[in-house]
Amino acid sequence: MLRIDHYSKTYPGGKRAVDDLTLHVRPGEIYGFIGHNGAGKTTTLRAVAGVMDFTEGTITIDGHDIKREPVAAKQVTAFLPDNPDLYEFMKGIDYLNFIADLYDIPADQRTADIGKYADAFELTGNLGSPIGSYSHGMRQKLALISAFIRRPRLLILDEPFVGLDPAAAHLMKGYLADLCQGGSAVFFSTHVLEVAEKLCHKIAIIKHGRLVKSGPTAELVGDSSLEDVFLELEGEK
Amino acid sequence: MKKFLTLLKVSIQSMLLSSTNSRGRSRKKAATGLGAVVVIAGLGLYLSGFYSYMLMQALAPSHMEILVFIFMGMAALVGGLLFTTFAVKGVVFGGKDNDLLLSMPVSSTLLMASRVTAIYLENLLFSAFVLLPAGVVCTMLTQSGVGHSLLFWVRLVIAALTLPLLDTALSVLLGALVAFLSARVSKGALGQNIVMGLFLVAVFYLSFNLNGMLGSLAANPAGVKDALSWAAPLLWMGEGIMGDWGLLLAFAACCVIPFALVVFGLGRVYRQAVTAFAARSAQSNYKLSAQSASSQKKALLRKEAQRFFGTPMYFWNAGLGLIMLLAAGAASLVMREKLLAFVGMEDFPLLPMAAAVICFCLCTCPIAAPSVSLEGKYLWILREAPMPGSTLLWVKAGFQLLLTLPCTVIAGACISIALGFQLWQGAALLITALLFAVGHAMFGMLMGLTFPKLDAVNETVVIKQSLAVTLAMFVPMAALAAAGGLYWLGSQTAGWAALALPILLFALLTAVCAAVLSKRGPVMLQAL
Repeated sequence: MLRIDHYSKTYPGGKRAVDDLTLHVRPGEIYGFIGHNGAGKTTTLRAVAGVMDFTEGTITIDGHDIKREPVAAKQVTAFLPDNPDLYEFMKGIDYLNFIADLYDIPADQRTADIGKYADAFELTGNLGSPIGSYSHGMRQKLALISAFIRRPRLLILDEPFVGLDPAAAHLMKGYLADLCQGGSAVFFSTHVLEVAEKLCHKIAIIKHGRLVKSGPTAELVGDSSLEDVFLELEGEK
Repeated sequence: MKKFLTLLKVSIQSMLLSSTNSRGRSRKKAATGLGAVVVIAGLGLYLSGFYSYMLMQALAPSHMEILVFIFMGMAALVGGLLFTTFAVKGVVFGGKDNDLLLSMPVSSTLLMASRVTAIYLENLLFSAFVLLPAGVVCTMLTQSGVGHSLLFWVRLVIAALTLPLLDTALSVLLGALVAFLSARVSKGALGQNIVMGLFLVAVFYLSFNLNGMLGSLAANPAGVKDALSWAAPLLWMGEGIMGDWGLLLAFAACCVIPFALVVFGLGRVYRQAVTAFAARSAQSNYKLSAQSASSQKKALLRKEAQRFFGTPMYFWNAGLGLIMLLAAGAASLVMREKLLAFVGMEDFPLLPMAAAVICFCLCTCPIAAPSVSLEGKYLWILREAPMPGSTLLWVKAGFQLLLTLPCTVIAGACISIALGFQLWQGAALLITALLFAVGHAMFGMLMGLTFPKLDAVNETVVIKQSLAVTLAMFVPMAALAAAGGLYWLGSQTAGWAALALPILLFALLTAVCAAVLSKRGPVMLQAL
C-alpha cells in the first residue's frame, strides 16, 4: 500500500532531517512510527501525504508515485497532522462537505458516513456551529471524521491521540482496526508506546533521521516491552 | 518601561515584517518592500498636498487658513478610523499570541498599552501625512504671514502628534465594539458589514457633495467656521496651529485624556475583554439532514466566498473597489445632467477618463493577492487534497474575477449610457476594463505567491499591511499611468492608435501574467 524507498530530506541550510529511509506498509497493516522529538517522523509523514516536497527517494501509495501522480495518490489517502488547523470561518458541517467535495464523495455516502462518525464521536449536535467556537478536542474529532468519511486506502496520522479524551481515543482505535480489516493501511506516529505496542502490527523506530529498527511488533519487542527497546536504542550511539 | 518597549518592539516588528516581507533572507524582497512603502508614502503626501492646495487657494485670500487645518484634521481622523478600527480587532484584541503574552509576568494594562501604541503609530502616519503637507502649503500660500515662523511648525507638530491619540482612543472603542459583536452575535460578520456600509454611505455622500461644499466655503468661509461648533476640538486645533497656545493645549487635553482613559480603563479589564471576545461556545442543537455534493471547483469557490464575505476586514479592504464601481455606475446615471454639464465645460477626453476611473476602482480590489497568505496554517488542507496546485490558483484568481467582472460590466454599461457613448466606444471601454480586470487578478495571484505571509499573527497584517496586497494595488496603478502615457502618445498620431496602444499594453501584461502563473504558479505554491 505504501512504499517508501531510499527517502531522504535535507532542509535549506543543510540539515539532513531524514536519511535513506526505506519502509513498506502492506494492506491491512497498522504501522507505528516511533522516534524522539526531531527524529524525522513528521517530516516523513508530511512527505508521504504530499504536503511537503522532497528530492531524494521515491514514495508510492497504492501504486501511485506521490511526485509523479500526486492527485491519484492523494485521492486514496487521508492525512491528519499533529495539530490540525481547520477553517475557523466554516461551520463543522461545511468543513466536512468541503472535504467530501474535494474527494468526490457522493451525497448519500457522505450523509451516511458523517452521521455514523459524528454520532459516534458525539459531535453531531455541534456541526452547525463555527469551527472557531470548537474546543481543541472537538477540532481533533472533526478532523478525524473528515479523514474517516474519505474511506482512505491509506490513513496517515501524526500523533493522533494528543487532545483526544479516553473514550474518543478508544473509539478511534476501533475504527482504525475496522479500516484495516477492510484492506486499508494505517501509518501513524506516536509517543504513546503502550498504545503502539498493543495496536500496531508493525513498528519502525527512527533516530536522527535514520531507521534503526523495524519489523513485526512481536518480533521487535520480544520478551521485553516497547519502552525498553526504545530506550535501549535511544541510549546507543 | 523596559517591558513596555520590548512588547512594543514585538508589535512594531510584526507590522513592519508584514509590510516589507523582510526576514533577512532576501535583500531583493526587503528592498522591494521598502520601495513599495516609499511609493505609498509619496502618494499619500501628494494626495494630501493636492487637496490642501485646493482648499488653501480658496481660503487663504480671506485669511481663513484655519479651515484647511480643520478639514484636513477631519480627514486624518476619519481616514484613521476607517483604516484602524478593524485593525484594532485583530491587533489589540485578537492576536494569535494572546495566550503567550497574557501568560507572561507583565500587567495586562502594559500589554494593551503596547498594542494600542502600535495602532497609535499607524494613526500618527495618517496624521503626519495629512497635516504636515497642509502646513507646507500654508507656508507657501498664506497671505497673513502665518506659517513663516518656527513656532507655527512647533504648534503644527504638537497637533500632528496629539490628534492620533484621539483617533486611537475612538478606534479602540469601536474596535472593541466590533470584537464584541463578532463574539456575541450569530451573524457577527453581517452586523459589522452593515455598520461599515453605513459609514461608507456617509463618506460617499460627503464626497459627492464636496464640490458644492467647496463652493460654499469659498463664498462664506466665516459662516462655515461658525457652523463647525459641533467639532469644537478640531476648531481648537486649527486655532492652536494658527497661534492660540491656550486652545492648542485644550485640544491636546481633548486627545490625551480620552486616550489615557481608554488605555487605563480598558487595560484594567483587558484580560477579561480578550477572553470574552475570544469565547464563542459551540451550540449543540444541529440535526443532520441529507447533504448534497458539488464539484471540487465549486467547493473551493464556496470556501473563498465564505472567507471573503465572512471576514469584514477582508471584505471592506479588498472589496471596497467593487462598491466604488457600482456606486460610480449608479451615480453616473443618477447625476447624469450634472456630469454632462461638468465634462462639457472642461473638454474632457471622456473615453480614457471613464476607463481610468473603472481601472482605478479595480486596482483597489486586491482580492486574490492576500488569499494565499490567508491560507497560512490551513495550507495543509489544500496541499493534501487530490487536486493539482494549478486548480487552486485558478480558482483563487477566478474568485476575484467572479466579483470584479460583473461589477466592471455594470459600471462600464452605466457610464457608457450616462455619457452617451457610441456602441464602439462602449465596446472599447468594456474591452479595456475587462482586460485590466483579468490582468489584475493574475498579477495579484502572482504577488500573493511571491510575497507570502503564512505566519502572520492575524488576518489584519495580511490584508492591510502585506507587501503582496500593496504591490497588487500600486503596480497596476503604475500600469494604468503607463497606459495613459501611451494614450497621449497615440493621440499625437491617430485616433485609433490612442485607443489601440493602451488595449495592447493591457493585453500584453495580462498574457504575461497568465503565462507566468500557469508555468511558475504551481511550483511557487509547492515551494511555500
